[in-house]
Amino acid sequence: MTLSREFKVGLFIGCTAIIIVLALLYLAAGKGVFENMHAFTLSSKSGDGFTEGMPVVFSGFNIGKVQSLELNDKGVVLIKIKIPDRHVKWIRSDSAFILYRPLIGSARIVVNTTNLNNPPLDEKKIPEVIIVNDINDAIARIEPALERVTQIADNVERLTSNLSDPKGDLHRILSNAGKITTNLASKKSLVEMVVSDEESVKALNESLKKLKDITTTVDRILTKVDKMADKTDSEIYGKDGALPQVNVILKDIVGKLQKLDKTIDNINKISSDTSEGTKDLHILRSDIDDTLKTVEDAVKKLDAIIGLKKVPEFKVP
Amino acid sequence: MMSFGENLGRRVIQMLTAFADTIVFAGKVFIRIFRRKTYSSAMREVLLNQIYFTSVQILPVFLMVSIIFGSLLIGIVFQLLKEFGLTGFFGHVLMGLIVTELSPLLTVLLITLRSAAAINTEMAVMKVNREIKTLEMFRIDVINYLLVPRVINGIISIVLLSSLCSIVLLVSGTLFSWLIFGMSIDVYKNILLNATNFSDILIALFKCAIYGFFITLIPIRFGLRASHEFTSIPIVVSQGMVNVFAAILIIEVLSLLTKLL
Repeated sequence: MTLSREFKVGLFIGCTAIIIVLALLYLAAGKGVFENMHAFTLSSKSGDGFTEGMPVVFSGFNIGKVQSLELNDKGVVLIKIKIPDRHVKWIRSDSAFILYRPLIGSARIVVNTTNLNNPPLDEKKIPEVIIVNDINDAIARIEPALERVTQIADNVERLTSNLSDPKGDLHRILSNAGKITTNLASKKSLVEMVVSDEESVKALNESLKKLKDITTTVDRILTKVDKMADKTDSEIYGKDGALPQVNVILKDIVGKLQKLDKTIDNINKISSDTSEGTKDLHILRSDIDDTLKTVEDAVKKLDAIIGLKKVPEFKVP
Repeated sequence: MMSFGENLGRRVIQMLTAFADTIVFAGKVFIRIFRRKTYSSAMREVLLNQIYFTSVQILPVFLMVSIIFGSLLIGIVFQLLKEFGLTGFFGHVLMGLIVTELSPLLTVLLITLRSAAAINTEMAVMKVNREIKTLEMFRIDVINYLLVPRVINGIISIVLLSSLCSIVLLVSGTLFSWLIFGMSIDVYKNILLNATNFSDILIALFKCAIYGFFITLIPIRFGLRASHEFTSIPIVVSQGMVNVFAAILIIEVLSLLTKLL
């Protein structure tokens, strides 16, 4: 079956048109053209960086866009954003809106919601947009560094100009060094070059010789002192020296003191025993007192009995 | 010095006159497109044939070229994006560069090489053979019968074929995004949706229509400039084709400026 030219053309136009329309409809549906939109208003002191159609991003995903920008009577910029119904759940009462202007790439409004359980943002509320500006931040960070670099460059320039200046410090130092070396080459010694007087050099040499003699004498004295010290050492620290004997005496004293400690302990014990004994004496005393009282009572009774009878006679119990 | 100035002036005047003539001619044809009287049965027959020759006949070759060239292009671009760490711009590159810029350009170049050259030659041959004179003698409106169907065909063909090319590129983009970035279809779809602007698509479609209008109108205009000698045919054809490519460049620049504004 051969298809007519008209049919082929019709088929081509029809199919292609349907494909295009379907693609556009799919795109429109994906972009949320057929969805309910929620409008929120944000505020900012400056409209710098905001553009119509700017994306509103949550967790890196586009959830809406800036619909319009207005300047109200108080000079505050009002930014109206449109969020489709399926994304409105990300906008809560505690949501923060940040204008993020990266160094590379387009600016966007980033939504930051900490608690998704919070109630949704009231559409009449106007939260303020926080501005984060990568470019300005970078410039602010670079500025001090640039200042330092400029200072360093200035210093380097000063140094180089000083170095290149024929009357500069370096040239002066170099010429002085040249003078010193030529001077050194013409003198017999470094000292002569320094003092610039031959007599002084001789005097210095003689002084040095005398100093040598003095040091020899001092050495000799020191040797004697050393020997004396050795002797003293043997007398103090030697086998029969004073220090070992002192040690023996001290050890003896320590032994005696230990014995004395024991004696004191015994005395303490005896005194404690005595004090306990005195407690018993009190009881004994009271017992004796009681006994005496009883005896006294008995004597009184006897007196009474004896006083009544002619022949005092009584039976001993 | 004087003669150089005169020559330069003459050339500039000639160019400006030719440009003005082309614009006036384009205006005439454009107005005829919207006149109901233009669409006679003869004209419709011509239009049908023109669409058949320009779009339907070329369709298998066009789709094959779109798939091969488009896939190659998408593969190279995606690979470069990956190498330069510009994966974040993937969607914008795909929609802004490949679909709305390269796809219409590829289509218009293919149609220009195949159909615009044919239209230019056809017009020149008709002029040489005095066929146009004959049509005028029979009181047949040359603009309605010959020009308008070809121009409408140009507009329809470029718009439809360019859209098809874009869809082919997007489909091959799915494959390459999976192969190069390991991207799932859902992620690819989301990236494309986020990167797509209706205004860009409308500009691209409008640009295709403008391309279609001028890549048929300019060859017709230059074809009709042929004299009654056969030797004038290659001259007007080459002139026509050069002007068509110049027009393509101008339209491309204007569309870029429109996007920037």
